[in-house]
Amino acid sequence: MTDHDDIDMLAAEYVLGTLDAEERAEVARRRRHDADLDARILAWEARLAPLGDEVETIAPGPDLLVRIERRIDALETQPDDTTDDRRETGNTDGTAQVIALRRRLGFWRGCAGLATAAALILAVVLIVPFNETPNAPPLVAVFQQDDQQPAFMLSVDLDSRRLNVRPVTAKPLPDRSYQLWIKAEALGSNPRSVGVLNDNLSLPADALSDYDPELLKQATFGISIEPPGGSPTGQPTGPAIHGYLYATDQDAVSQHL
Amino acid sequence: MSDASRRSPRRSSIAADDASAAPSTAGERLPELLRRVAQRDRRAFEQLYAATSAKLYGTVLRILKERGRADDVVQEAYVTIWQKAAQFDTGRASPIAWMVAIARHAAIDELRRQPRAPHEPEETLAHTPAGGPSAREHLEHEQDAKRLHACLEALEAERRDMVRLAYLDGWSRADLATHFEQPVNTVKTWLHRALKQLKGCLAP
Repeated sequence: MTDHDDIDMLAAEYVLGTLDAEERAEVARRRRHDADLDARILAWEARLAPLGDEVETIAPGPDLLVRIERRIDALETQPDDTTDDRRETGNTDGTAQVIALRRRLGFWRGCAGLATAAALILAVVLIVPFNETPNAPPLVAVFQQDDQQPAFMLSVDLDSRRLNVRPVTAKPLPDRSYQLWIKAEALGSNPRSVGVLNDNLSLPADALSDYDPELLKQATFGISIEPPGGSPTGQPTGPAIHGYLYATDQDAVSQHL
Repeated sequence: MSDASRRSPRRSSIAADDASAAPSTAGERLPELLRRVAQRDRRAFEQLYAATSAKLYGTVLRILKERGRADDVVQEAYVTIWQKAAQFDTGRASPIAWMVAIARHAAIDELRRQPRAPHEPEETLAHTPAGGPSAREHLEHEQDAKRLHACLEALEAERRDMVRLAYLDGWSRADLATHFEQPVNTVKTWLHRALKQLKGCLAP
């Protein structure tokens, strides 16, 4: 009885928030395998929840969702992540160079053309300083092949709306083409093709000239592996990797994942 | 009292809608959105965020008082929600209660790791509603809320303030001891009595 009381008060104070850091850590550990404690915590959360009704709702800053999604993207591609991922381990041929990424379903999953695709490959986005280029474009996206090596790099000069795609470790694939896609809220739920990469794995610099700079800042980009000449359906049909644009100023560089 | 109950239906719908772009269905949509998030649906995650982020952010900011720290904590809370959505069980908690609990625990953990400057609790008190009708204006789950507030009213005033300052503003036992000029052990005893009294009062 006394034990039950103690456990119940531990749960109650945990929910109330009055335990110190060590006690809180201990309760958080213990509840994972102590069903009684966990149930008591949930019961206290339900009892006290109406107290929170008097909290004033406050909208977070507009950038927070983007931060959260980037963080999720980063976690989703970490090797030790044990959420429900299935890994693709093949790494023996040219295609595997990109496909050897962990299989992930994410931001691009909702796209109609991709709903049934067996594998979507998402990329961690790294911020890489363009020190070697004196006229560095202000924004860069990196399509990463694995946790160390970028597969492609995309840079966009917003003022002139000129783009530069270049392979970093990606190689031309026999009987396959790489295709660059853009996806943004303003464009609806499906990605749009920016273009099919040529034999040198690049694109005409004016491929993005129809897009508004503000839209480009918010957009994500994907590169998918398609049949020769590009997707026959107008939507990505093969595995895709994606990236966000990042500013290449000092602040952005310091956000390096 | 009659005034409060006459007003509460309208008020409660405002409170429930505050954080959502699709007002009347927000509460009903949350279980479905969480189910889709559990299947790693990013669009559902964005909708869930749109519907709940102001509630979570308000909760966390009230505890931490600093936007920078609140940003970090809310970010981690949503990452946790993304990762643990599959563990959410409608039979055990409401979606918003589950999400608020994740955010509150993260905020309190952060506060315990790095407490605010010691003078701040006094400033906080001035902003803490003392209860009464104004605190009842934003009730989301009316029945539960009415019962809880009735039970809180039955507590001695100081103990009621302790519960509220701890739950809403993240005060530690030590913060409470300083403010109420009592030894920490006395605070602990008072808190336990208050919590047991609440539990007994709320028992069906």
